Amino acid sequence: MHKIGRGHREKVQQFMAITGATDKAAIQSLKASDWHLEGAFDIYYTQLQIRAVTDSKLLEELYRRYKDPYAEMIMADGITLLCSDLQVDPQDIVMLVLSWHMKAATMCEFSRQEFIGGLQTLGVDSIDKLREKIPLMRAEMKDDQKFGDIYYFSFGWAKEKGQKSLALDTAIGMWQLLFAEKCWPLMDNWCQFLKVKHNKAISRDTWCQLLEFFKMIDPTLSNYDAEGAWPYLIDEFVEYLVENGLAHLP
Amino acid sequence: MSGPQRKNLFKIEPFKQRVELDPNYSDKAWKILEHAIHEIYSHNASGLSFEELYRNAYHMVLHKYGEKLYNGLVCSMTCHLREISKCIEAAYGVLFLEELNRKWVDHNKALQMIRDILMYMDRTYVPTSQKKTVHDLGLKLWRDIIIHSRNIQIRLLDTLLDLIYKERTGEVINRGLMRNVTKMLSDLGISVYQDDFEKTFLDASSSFYCGESQKFIECCDCGQYLIKAEKRLTEEIERVSHYLSSSSEEKITNVVEKEMIANHMQRLVHMDNSGLVNMLIHDKYDDLGRMYSLFRRVSGGLVTIRDVMTFHLRETGKQLVMDSEKLRDPVEFVQRLLDERDKHDTIITQAFNNDKTFQNALNSSFEYFINLNNRSPEFISLFVDDKLRKGLKGVNEEDVEMVLDKVMMLFRYLQEKDVFEKYHKQHLAKRLLAGKTVSDDAERSLILKLKTECGYQFTSKLEGMFTDMKTSQDTMQGFYASQISDSGVGPTLVVHVLTTGSWPAQPSIPCNLPAEILGVCEKFKAYYLGTHTGRRLSWQTNMGSADLKATFGKGQKHELNVSTYQMCVLMLFNTSEQLTYTEIEQATEIPPQDLKRCLQSLACVKGKHVLHKNPMSKEIAEDDKFYFNDNFSSKFYKVKIGTVAAQKESEPEKQETRQKVEEDRKPQIEAAIVRIMKSRRVLEHNNIVLEVTKQLQSRFLPNPVVIKKRIESLIEREFLERDKNDRKLYRYLA
Repeated sequence: MHKIGRGHREKVQQFMAITGATDKAAIQSLKASDWHLEGAFDIYYTQLQIRAVTDSKLLEELYRRYKDPYAEMIMADGITLLCSDLQVDPQDIVMLVLSWHMKAATMCEFSRQEFIGGLQTLGVDSIDKLREKIPLMRAEMKDDQKFGDIYYFSFGWAKEKGQKSLALDTAIGMWQLLFAEKCWPLMDNWCQFLKVKHNKAISRDTWCQLLEFFKMIDPTLSNYDAEGAWPYLIDEFVEYLVENGLAHLP
Repeated sequence: MSGPQRKNLFKIEPFKQRVELDPNYSDKAWKILEHAIHEIYSHNASGLSFEELYRNAYHMVLHKYGEKLYNGLVCSMTCHLREISKCIEAAYGVLFLEELNRKWVDHNKALQMIRDILMYMDRTYVPTSQKKTVHDLGLKLWRDIIIHSRNIQIRLLDTLLDLIYKERTGEVINRGLMRNVTKMLSDLGISVYQDDFEKTFLDASSSFYCGESQKFIECCDCGQYLIKAEKRLTEEIERVSHYLSSSSEEKITNVVEKEMIANHMQRLVHMDNSGLVNMLIHDKYDDLGRMYSLFRRVSGGLVTIRDVMTFHLRETGKQLVMDSEKLRDPVEFVQRLLDERDKHDTIITQAFNNDKTFQNALNSSFEYFINLNNRSPEFISLFVDDKLRKGLKGVNEEDVEMVLDKVMMLFRYLQEKDVFEKYHKQHLAKRLLAGKTVSDDAERSLILKLKTECGYQFTSKLEGMFTDMKTSQDTMQGFYASQISDSGVGPTLVVHVLTTGSWPAQPSIPCNLPAEILGVCEKFKAYYLGTHTGRRLSWQTNMGSADLKATFGKGQKHELNVSTYQMCVLMLFNTSEQLTYTEIEQATEIPPQDLKRCLQSLACVKGKHVLHKNPMSKEIAEDDKFYFNDNFSSKFYKVKIGTVAAQKESEPEKQETRQKVEEDRKPQIEAAIVRIMKSRRVLEHNNIVLEVTKQLQSRFLPNPVVIKKRIESLIEREFLERDKNDRKLYRYLA
């Protein structure tokens, strides 16, 4: 309690009085809602709901259904099974969103912690309930903030363990998947350019900056700024577009 | 009689009786004065009594007739001046001016006398009634009646201008008269001088010179025109000093400058076959000096000269550095650069008054075009190599310093100083190892100059090379001292031990040395490693040389100076009569490129045919056969067949060197970025580029794209990160 200001302390006390929560939970919820009481209530009750709603025993069973017989992880076979249970294609973007919820470290494998934690966050403990959440998860891709988070998350998730950069083919696949519904006219050109001119792995900085580029720069490059501190790969991409008459610089 | 207290005051009563002045007194007095004035104007003043006149005037003023006196004076003088005016108007031609002048002199004399007579009035009546003094009145009346009389005014002006025109066209005129007349105008008031003479004078001069300059520029070339302009300018200044008011000097010179120089500046400078460029090319110091001093007088004049000169320099320079003919011989090329610089430096000193702005223009032009050719650093190094190898042989110390200083001047223009460093190191290595330097002092002097210019870092390795040479000498002494027992047997070995890192990196695959040599080499290696533990030696067989004693067919003996590779090849012929290329390659294990060159120099060079080649072609093919040339002959006992001195690199070698330089630059750029970010913590992208460029510019000009790539590499390695809110900002990660 020492580090909290007086005004905040009052809010914490108010919160605790109304909800009957522990001071730890109160502080957590308030912090998460930026010290707005209303928001804090929302968060607290949602979490409660989730915790309350999911049955840990069922979750354990589910985990055991999919887990690999020889390792303490869900591996490729398990995931394939999961997908068929959910009636989604393993390549479906929903699986990425699911992995994001699970905070999965690497693609094509879930640890026990990741699997159970993810389902708890979603507030489901059965395949049916999970299947019901699918439209919601698809919708999350449309939310700009969440899309950004998912995008940044994908880099770490898609790359090889122990590598710093993302292999080009994987990167292109990921981009095409992520941007499928965004309809960015330059996506094909970007992938083409990379295959022809770059042909090397993609750094994290380039990955992240591409999203900025997509968000900020008009497809006709009318507001591209050469002094804009874009990664050199993106500068080269712009040059490539201009050389091939696909865009004109202001 | 009053009491004892009262003093007796003696009162003097004023005259009760007023002495009345004769009412006609003033008229009488005035008549006398009027008559006197008349006499004065008629040059009959000698008969007048100053005292009487003065008294009359005095009394008039005293008795309050000052106004009458003054008005009378005005009237009288006006009358007389009208008469005079008629006289002047009547004069013909040249006499007009003389008459005017004469009458003016007379008037002044008269005025003086009148003033003396009326001095009391001047002192008392005039100030109180705020009228003009007699003198000023005299001038005013003269001006109004004579100068501003319709006829005289125009005629005076025309006459003056006409005379000036005549003088300008070469006639002799009466300067004294002119001076008097213009002085008269000045005396009458500066506005009289200006309005009644100067203004029109300037306009007339303006049209005169406009016409003259037009005429000249059609028929003269630039140099002649400038001489004429200068002459006219001098003439006008002289004219002013002789018979015009000095206030006119600046105005008339402005007119001449404008008409003759400013209006034709561009045309003069760009004149075909005689303009500025022509003068520069032919070192016409006089013409250039004249142009400089004339153009200096007008605004924008020097800028015009400087711009044209700069453009010319850049164009000539550009042609020089792009001309492949001239580039064939690097030494010639650099000498040409130095000559061009010297030439223009002399021009600036001799003709342009050593003007600093011109020096700067010269420097910036050279900097511009020298860097157009990216082989300039290499060529300058080759020039230096040539000089230090033989060019400066026998030259005294002063002259050596002069040549080196000039080279340093060119060096300063280079943007890619690190490329020069690389080549200089290579060339120096060759010189040192071949023992081919003309003077150690000259070498050291140059290194010192480079150090002063660029800092210790630049030259530390070069100095290391010298140290190695010295140390090697000591090592050899020690080696031979330890080998006394074995002396006399086997070849004499001289070893230079080079510290890797100081010398240019040359990875070499050692070839197969002849057995005799191997033995000695092993002995040395053992000795050296005995005294220096923890070191590793590797023989650089591509850098050595050998002296071979050869006996030919007819018994002629020669001493051949050859490279190590050539020695290996020749020694094979001690045991074989004939060898094919392939056999030689296998036996010596010399890399093919080097072997071919080596065989070419042994078999294909005229006068140095130590070997015969079958077939006789210049190219070396796999199945060529070589055999010893028993018929070899030479005038000299000692024959040098060693591979040549440093020469300009072939395309592939050049690419390789450039690549190395680019590689070397990357860590330097990264170090600069880290240094900057460490102290600034947070910095915007463009500012980083600026700072890095500033820090490195004494060595080379970093490419902004390369800087960007380095930044990204540093982000990868987590030295830096982008700011979360502003993507153009970078943060240092401790």
